[in-house]
Parts: sequence; C-alpha cells; structure tokens
Amino acid sequence: MLQAIRSTALLLAILAGAASTAGAADGTGDLSPIGAQDWNYAKAAHLLERAGFGGTPEEVARYAAMTPEAAVRRLVRSKDVPNSLPAFDESDIHDPGLEPFPVSRPAATDRAKETGKSMGVKVKPAGNRRLQPVADKFFYWLRASRLETHRMSYWWANRMLVTERPLEEKMALFWHGHFANSEEKIRDYRKLLKQLQLFQEKGTGNFRDLMIGVAQDPAMLAFLDAGVNVKGAPNENFAREIMELFTMGVGNYTEKDIREAARAFTGWNFNDLTFVINPDRHDDSVKHVLGQSGTFDGVEVIDVILAQPVTADYLAAKIYRYFVRQEITPELRKQLGAVLRDANYELAPLLETIFLSQDFYSAAATGSRIKPPVELVVGTYRKMGLKEVPGVPDFNDVTEALGQKLFYPPTVAGWANGKSWITPGLLLTRGNFVYDIVFPDINFLPPDRYPGGDYQIAVVNDKLAQGYDVTTATKPDAKEVTSMSMQADRDEDFNTRLASYRGWQTALQKVKPIPRATAQLDLSEMVLAAGSRNTREAVDYLVARFLSVDVDSGTRQRITDFLSRELGTSELAGTETFLEEPLRLTLHLILSLPEYQLG
Amino acid sequence: MKKMNANKVWTRREILRAGLAGIGAGAMPLVFSRAMAADAPASKRILVVLELSGGNDGLNTLVPYGDDAYYRHRPQIGIRPEKLRKIDDRFGFNPGMAGFERLYKDGRMAVVHGCGYAQPSFSHFTSMAYWHTGAPNSGEEFGWVGRLADAIDPQLTPNFIVNIDEMQSLAVRANGHVPVVFDDPNTFGRKGMYQTRPLLDHVGESSDDANASQRYLLDVAKSAREASQLVRDAWTRYKTPVDYGILPVDLPKVASLIAAGMPTRLYYVSYRHNAFDTHVQQPDLHQRLLTYVSDGVAGFMKDMERIGRADDVVVMVFSEFGRRVPENTSLGTDHGTANHMYLIGKNVRGGHYGTPSNLSELDEGDNLVFTTDFRRVYASVIEGWLEYRNSERLFTQRFETFPVFV
Repeated sequence: MLQAIRSTALLLAILAGAASTAGAADGTGDLSPIGAQDWNYAKAAHLLERAGFGGTPEEVARYAAMTPEAAVRRLVRSKDVPNSLPAFDESDIHDPGLEPFPVSRPAATDRAKETGKSMGVKVKPAGNRRLQPVADKFFYWLRASRLETHRMSYWWANRMLVTERPLEEKMALFWHGHFANSEEKIRDYRKLLKQLQLFQEKGTGNFRDLMIGVAQDPAMLAFLDAGVNVKGAPNENFAREIMELFTMGVGNYTEKDIREAARAFTGWNFNDLTFVINPDRHDDSVKHVLGQSGTFDGVEVIDVILAQPVTADYLAAKIYRYFVRQEITPELRKQLGAVLRDANYELAPLLETIFLSQDFYSAAATGSRIKPPVELVVGTYRKMGLKEVPGVPDFNDVTEALGQKLFYPPTVAGWANGKSWITPGLLLTRGNFVYDIVFPDINFLPPDRYPGGDYQIAVVNDKLAQGYDVTTATKPDAKEVTSMSMQADRDEDFNTRLASYRGWQTALQKVKPIPRATAQLDLSEMVLAAGSRNTREAVDYLVARFLSVDVDSGTRQRITDFLSRELGTSELAGTETFLEEPLRLTLHLILSLPEYQLG
Repeated sequence: MKKMNANKVWTRREILRAGLAGIGAGAMPLVFSRAMAADAPASKRILVVLELSGGNDGLNTLVPYGDDAYYRHRPQIGIRPEKLRKIDDRFGFNPGMAGFERLYKDGRMAVVHGCGYAQPSFSHFTSMAYWHTGAPNSGEEFGWVGRLADAIDPQLTPNFIVNIDEMQSLAVRANGHVPVVFDDPNTFGRKGMYQTRPLLDHVGESSDDANASQRYLLDVAKSAREASQLVRDAWTRYKTPVDYGILPVDLPKVASLIAAGMPTRLYYVSYRHNAFDTHVQQPDLHQRLLTYVSDGVAGFMKDMERIGRADDVVVMVFSEFGRRVPENTSLGTDHGTANHMYLIGKNVRGGHYGTPSNLSELDEGDNLVFTTDFRRVYASVIEGWLEYRNSERLFTQRFETFPVFV
C-alpha cells in the first residue's frame, strides 16, 4: 500500500513536470546557470536525455532531488562515481601470424607465392589449390574481426544501458563520430577496442591529451594511411583530416599548411597495437604551418593547431550542436570557445557550462533534438527498465538499418546529425524497431551464426556436402556472371569462394556467440506499479515515461480509446492477467508517433 | 563495402521475414494508382543522377592514352594502351568497363571533359556539397535537384523525387518537395497489427503547436505513408532477365519504379561511402569499382529498352572531384580537381564535349585546370532534357549549354 502511494506520488511528479516544461521562461542564448529554484523533474529528465541515454522515472527522480550543480557535476566529473562494469570478454581469435595483416587478398596470396608463407600459414608443397590455406586464413580473419566487432558493440551498448556514468559513454560516442574510424578499413577489432577505451578514459578530460592520443592511436594511423606517409613522399590524408575534421574546420588553413603538416607526421606508424616513430622516415627539416615555422614533429603541429583561436571555437560549437541544438549563433560560438580555451582545453568546464546554462533548458533547446539511432535504441531499452540489451532484434542490424552502426561510421566525417537521421524510409524503420521489441520475431536467425546470402556461402556449404567438386560447388549462378567473374577456376592456386566459406566456418567456431534473449519486458507490472488505475492514466504514464514532448489531446484520446477497446474496459482493476498484449500494442502506437523521435 | 541486395531475388520466406508481405493489401493500391494517374506530370522525361562518392580517378577511367604526359605522371599505375578499351585514337576506357565502351560506341554516351569549378576544394565533404548544391563557396541550403523539382513542378506532385540511400542527399533537399528516401524497398513499410493500423496510418496528422523538428517529422511521416506502398509493390512485381552485374548501385530499384509508372522524374542514387577514395593500392580496386558501375549502367539502359522507356531516360554520372595527376608513392592517387561527366541515354548525342584539361599544364598542386564549369552540364540537362528554360534562376547566373540532346 505504501509502495502504491509512493508510486502515485511519482506519477504525479512526472505529469506535473511534463506540464511545467512548456511554461519555462526562455533563456535562449543565455549561458548563466539556472537557479536551484528552477530545478525540477522535467529539467532532470532533459539533462539525462541529453547528457546520457535517458532514464527511468526512478533515475530521473534521483537527479531531480539533487541541486542542478550536483546533478551536472555527477555526470561531468564522474570518475569518482562507482561503476563496476565488466571488461570486454574477448574471443580467442587472433594470433601473431596475422600481423601485419595484408592490405588485400591479392597482397596476401602474392606474398605467399613469393615467400611460401603468409599470415603464418604455409603454402602446400604440391597439388591443386596450393595457396588455399592462405586464402582461407585471410577470409577467416576478415570474418572473425567483423563478428568480434559486432560482439564489441553489444558490450558497449550494454555499458550505455546500465552505466552509472552515462556522460562518459555519451562522450565516447561523440568522439567515435568525431574521430570516425571504421572496421571496414581497419579490419582489426583489437585496434578499435583500444581506441574506444581511449575515448572512454579521456573523452571528458583534456582535448590536447585526447588529440595526441588519437594521433598516435593504431586504429587512426591505420585508417588514415599513416604507414605510407614518409619522408620525401608525404601522404596528406592524415594531416588533412586533422585540420578539416578534428580541430579547425574547412576554410581556416591552406593546402600548403596541409602539405607542410603532413611532413611533421612522417614516420609515424604502428606496430600491431603499439605506436612507433620510424626516425629514418621522419622528415625533421623546417616546416611552415599556420604562420609558424620550426622543425615540428606531430605533437608540435598539434600544439600549433590548438593555439589557433578557431580551434576552440570549432570544437565547442560541435559539442554544443551535438548536445543542445543544431543552430548556434556566432556570439554563443565565441563564448563557448572562450570557455574551452580559458580552461586550456579541459572539457569538463565547457560541459558544465552547457548543461547548467539557461540556454540548455530554454524552449528552443528542449524536445527539439532528433535522437541519433544508437541513442534511440539504447534510450528505449533504458526507459523500458531493461538490464540487458536484447539479443532479438539484433542490435547491430537495427542500428545499421537506422543508419548508425557502431564501429562502422559511413565516412571519416562520421555521422551527420539532426534532420539527416530522418527520411521516410528511416522513420518507418524506427517504428518497426519498436514493433520488433514488443513482438519479437519468432523466425529470427542470429546473423552472427547464419551467413545468409553472403557470397552464396549457404549454397557452397550444401553442394560440398553433396559431393560436388570445388569448381562446381562454388560456381556462381548465371545471374551473377559478369565480365569480372568469368575466370576458369578448375586448376588454380586457390578458390576465393571456398576460402570465404571456410573463413566463415572457422570464425563461427572461434567467435563466441551473442546471447539471444528477447527483451525482458513487463509492461503490466510497470503500469500497475506506477499506480495507474484506468486506461487514461496508463496512456498518460507511458507517454510521460517515454516521450520528451507533449502529445496533443486528440491523439491521447484515440490511443486511450484503443486501449479501452482492446481491454474491454477502461478500468485496469481485474485486467492483470490479460493486460500485457494490449499494453504492448499501445506502446507500439505511442513510440511510433513522430514525436518519439525527439529528445 | 556494404552488402547490396539490389539484384537479389527475394524469396517468399525472406519477404515474410521482412514482415511486410501483404501489408496494406486490399483497396490501398487501387487508390494509389488512381491518384498516380491524376497527378502524372505532362512530360515523361526522367533524369537519373548517379554519384560516385570518394573522388573517382577520371584519368584511369577514360584514359588519355594518346598523351605521353599521362604515362610520365603515372609510371606505375598508368594503364598501358594495349589493355585499354579504346574508343578513338586518344581515349580508351578502363579494361573493366565493357558496358561503357559499348554505350559509347553505340552513340549513346556523351563525355564532358574538364568539369570542375574555380577555387576547388580538396575536401570530399565540401566539394560534394558544392556539387550537391550547384553553388560552390556559398551557403546554399537546398540541393540543385531539390530546387529543380520546386521549379519544374510547383504543384508539388508527390513522389516527384526519389533518392535511394540510407540518408537523404543534400542534392535533393528542397524547399517545397519532400523527396522519397529509402534504401531497401522490402523494408520500406510499417509493421503493425491489424487493429493498430488505423492509428498507425493516422501518425503525423496531429499536433497544433509543433516545433520546427516536429513539423519536419510530420512532413516526412506523410511522405512515408504516401510512398511506401507504391515502392514496395513496384519492387515486388519487378522481375527482369537483364544482367546488371554484381553491384548495380541501386539502379534495378530505379528500374522497378519506372516500370511501375511512378510519377518520379528525378532519381538520385549513389555509389556510397567514399568508395572511390583510392589513396593506396588503387589499380585492382578501382577497376573492380568501375566494372560494377559500368555493368550496372549498361544493364539499366538495356532494361529501359526492354520496358519501352529508353527514350524517356537519361543517366548522368559524376564524382565530387578527380584525382591528382601524378600517382602517389602508395600505388594510389590523392584528391584532385577536374573530371569527366557522363550523360547516357538513347536521346543523347554521343561523343566528346568540352575541352580535355591539359596534362602538361597543371596547376601548382599538380592538378588539372578545369575547362568546363560543372553547372554547364547541369544546365544542359535542365534545359535540353527536362525542358526548363530558365536554369539561370537555379544557379544565380546563366551557363552556356551543350547541345547534348537529340
């Protein structure tokens, strides 16, 4: 009984909070902190939504009970907050022979032809397909690294879901989009794991430390072709992206600055998971970068860049646009840049300024941000009160379909935010994601166990078992024959389709499976524990729990009528044994509202 | 590279797995087809824009083998004359491009040389934005395809622009039109149980005092509702014997919509994810990419012939920049400037247009000097093909057009 009363009080607090958002005094553009008297449930919910992945009513209530300073401090300076999260449970899939991994299959087999060995695998002394084991190993690692990366994104998503330090993970996600490296090119989950740990450890610390860490990070060095940037033949890729995307933005440097800066990074490389400088390949002569001259190395060039006023402005504006809203006035950009610069690139003061500001809680900044897909997915699970990211639907498939697959950003520029997350196709896909949680597909096949249509592996598998020779078993069907795939392969060094098939097989053996539980969701319990007595209160509760913007009364009424119709009554008492399915239908309706895309 | 299912034959089971079979079956398709007939624009001419993202190396696509300077700049990755698919005594296509060679020799391909713009950007994102807006070094908010749609179809015919991609391209962003953007037609539909259908279909019609993001979402929801059924039906019905090659860049999806009689006149597809950014170990990879594009476009044109629409369709191919003339030390090429554009169609007058950039007179960054503002090609298509005679309204100035169309 006492429990019910407390829950009702919480429900009332939620509803009151939701109503008070609309009436908030407008502080757009004002960076001065909000007062303790203005702090309430709705503001705490807004803070958790933006600085984290949203919260359950209980979590929001905890933050609402603090002062705004304490709430923001807990998020921004969270290193003291206890947070016992398990380390990534790696599968045992890598071996030293794989390093350095050949840039392509032809490179792998050419090396084997010349030296008799590649990736630790020897060429067979005689017979057909002498290089087959080498090709098998190449495709094995491509597949295994990819599958392990998918496990890693599950691990990260679970951290986002249960962490006590949500901003730590949110900033890691921000930096993953800022320093956007893809497994597609890096082909080594270990390097990406190391990079993610860098974002998690230093993502709310000092930007100079972070930038140097990234510039010396094996994943980034591999991604931007650092290995081919050598004295006498600089490769501009790395220097260009540092200036254009990571620090200053286009228009604040010249092509000559890039060419000169590239020379400072010559000789920077990695050996497996370690940063190395090759002095023979480093150009230590004088460079002229952004008006400064000296025998700069990479770190010194980073310092030259950080000394540019535009750098702090650029970074502060990007952080603001990510956390607050897409539009930023030139004045605000300058003010925020000054905060970052005055703190010598410590990120915490900037984040505190933003999250405490009147501007952050103004009408224009509230309920106006289109949630990026990973935040939509994790936030939905978090608001559902789940303790684990479900295995069905597959997290990677869902986020890929929505346009934000972790560790696979589309380009080096990362993900475009804001409106670009929404197209007609993507809006429907967002609603379908909710359907797949509340009504999990019982035909679900785990993509980490079933190769599906990839390279027609399934066909190769079946034909080999039926005793066909490799040539016949791997022959592409007529529809796929083109000018590129007309090679005869009867007597050959190796067969790539066979290698792809074997690569899958070995990867399946070695990579640990992803648990495939469906969402442990109990909406009846949730709604009844909150004290809802009738369908109207249940709908109001679900809307307040999941949505950041208000829903008009007509829509509310239609959904309430729907729930009453499905239940055969508008009173919840006595419906406990058959309440779940109607509530799931109702939640699907609520989370399919366009308004649910806003945070 | 992302796995593409475009030419995959979907089994009944897979369609069921996508959860969409039979959704909305009943009266809906009839309603749509009647609406389509009423709204169909007078002209049937269609433009398909194909973007090659990442900066395609034009010099190794259509190789100027008659120019010794080419081989001097590219001792390692220059393609020897005997390997090329020669189209005349100066130029030859990359060995992987049988499809383009055929189209050119059949007189259905115009090659426009030296396309670029002043003060070129070497950033993928910036340069692509310039090509998307048709407004280099400006803050133009809308894309050239979007502005074009608003100009030639002020009555805002639904489904006038289709953009097949994960994200909406800046090129199609319009003030009035809401482009239909989707990736996989099989999943372009709403899942939902029977009894929730009326409410799900109601999505997007409420809200009185919506903020800007909310209003945007409501517009998109409306477009999704109107287009998804049409697209899915078109794709489900579409069957073709034509071989599009291994990775046909969404062109079969375009063909399915054209075959279904969609009122769309502007299609936008992309070879995505900066695939053509060949800094390292270029030759094999680049040839493979070109084969996919060449086979895909050739298959598409053959398919248009098959369904009797070859007279109505033009494909335009471009990339955000070409690549540096001298090869780099990693058997690749760095970001460059001027490049070819290709216009393909039965009503295209095949041949060379514009002036090839001089390989012996590079700029200080070892790049080609552009000879043709790329907006001349846009203007040529807008005026000559889509018959909108005021292209200067879209580009703030008048660009001289090429007589490319029959």
